[in-house]
Amino acid sequence: MISDFLEADLTDLSWLISTRELSSTEVVTAAIERLKRLEPKLNAFITVLEEQARAAAKAADDEIAHGRHRGPLHGIPITIKDMFATSGVRTTGASKILLDWVPNFDAHIVERLDAAGAILIGKTNLDEFGHGGTSTLSHFGPVHNPWNTERIAGGSSGGSAAAVAARIGPLSYGTETGSSVRRPASYCGIVGFKPTFGIISRYGSFRGAWSQDHVGIFARSVKDVALGLDATAGYDSRDPSSVQQNSPTYASHLDGNVKGLRLAVPRRFLEGTESAVKEAFEVALKTLAEAGCVIDDLDIPELSYAAMTSMITSSAESAGINRRWFRECHQDFVPHVARGLAVGMTITASEYLTVQRARHRIREALQQAYKKIDLIVSPTTPRVAPPISDGVRGNGDNTHHASNNHSNLLRFPSMLGLPGCSVPCGMTPDEMPIGMQLIGSWFSDQTVLNAGLAYQSLTDWHRQKPLVD
Amino acid sequence: MSETERFAHRLALLGGVEFSTTDLEIITSEIAEMERILTELEEFAHDTPWVSLQTQPIEKKIGP
Repeated sequence: MISDFLEADLTDLSWLISTRELSSTEVVTAAIERLKRLEPKLNAFITVLEEQARAAAKAADDEIAHGRHRGPLHGIPITIKDMFATSGVRTTGASKILLDWVPNFDAHIVERLDAAGAILIGKTNLDEFGHGGTSTLSHFGPVHNPWNTERIAGGSSGGSAAAVAARIGPLSYGTETGSSVRRPASYCGIVGFKPTFGIISRYGSFRGAWSQDHVGIFARSVKDVALGLDATAGYDSRDPSSVQQNSPTYASHLDGNVKGLRLAVPRRFLEGTESAVKEAFEVALKTLAEAGCVIDDLDIPELSYAAMTSMITSSAESAGINRRWFRECHQDFVPHVARGLAVGMTITASEYLTVQRARHRIREALQQAYKKIDLIVSPTTPRVAPPISDGVRGNGDNTHHASNNHSNLLRFPSMLGLPGCSVPCGMTPDEMPIGMQLIGSWFSDQTVLNAGLAYQSLTDWHRQKPLVD
Repeated sequence: MSETERFAHRLALLGGVEFSTTDLEIITSEIAEMERILTELEEFAHDTPWVSLQTQPIEKKIGP
């Protein structure tokens, strides 16, 4: 019975709780029990909030019993990456430096989730302060992929992705500076969505690189992502990049109508893609075409420079952000992260500005492209999750040359602030999930979500479950 | 300026933070790679306007 309702998505769970067929206490208790059972295998959590969550669930049940149902997230167990400040609860960024830091304030999303009645059951593991793509660069050890615990979950939001894939709560929040939401979502076989820059406030979140940082959402369905977006999007003057916007209503505007939607495939960047990934992607394209999308190839040569432009930008910005800690306690960083910060420290202002000119040129190329198309679509990653033993090079990224390497496709959405969504689109013969990413133009978040919904309504890859039990 | 001098200038920006010889070798090799990337990006960005984004004062109203 426990596994039955943890299998339900957010939408169904919410209905069951609102009609009191299930109590929040039952759901939260089951999620925590599952977390505790699987944690020795996954290492997906840094802090578990068992007592606090049980008390909050009881309070939610009391409120709902008195006719005060706050909305779709009320009483739902959720998790967040340990990048977000939580008042009275330690917030580490997966770093030894902040091992015992207990903030006295909440991050923006924590405030919003609390107001929506969501129940925070745990804070998830990550690459230290978001610096990485594997979730192996954590002071607390590597996150393991629920589909195969000898493989990485992807990073840097790997704990969040692993938790949702393993049915430890239907919703989690992470951050993305390079590809830290879409990559782990793809590796773990779930949906990962990163909105347009400025849609969700980053107040109270550690910075990876301020001009590329986004808050992102993990769930098993696009509809659940939209509910999670509605709960957390909105203007916040404490984040200088926050966008003035009306109350978000992404979920209610989901219609899955993609008739005539123009999708473009940047084929030059798919050269090194594994055959199983390529095959799954081509089948997914056929499905989208059957749904009414118009699909064509599109060449944007400027994207060849995206990965290295993004890498130098984030390297310089993260060095600036961590300057004080680097000088005072560099030995407390994970060694790989410390070395990366050292390189970033040596980038001069004029070099950084030159890189921003390159970024501007790529942005202009994308602006031109989006006059002709609605979405860029590609495999999210060129290969499935690599073994943990492959270390940080396992992802196969190449950010050191202007090239046709797929890492350009992973990096450009965050560098330019574009909305992007990874949806599961297949499985390798050895049962590892494959993802497809849909990248829209600025503020076309609704279009991205609609396309994801249309795809999920015709497929059931997002219902596949890892056998981590 | 020789490569050694150039790297010495760069490493001076670490503000006195010391690394092991092995770490320094990795860092120096990454710096060499970064310098090559910067040359490539400079050429790519040539003729592109300098980015000039001002941060606007938050919630400031102009006029009556």
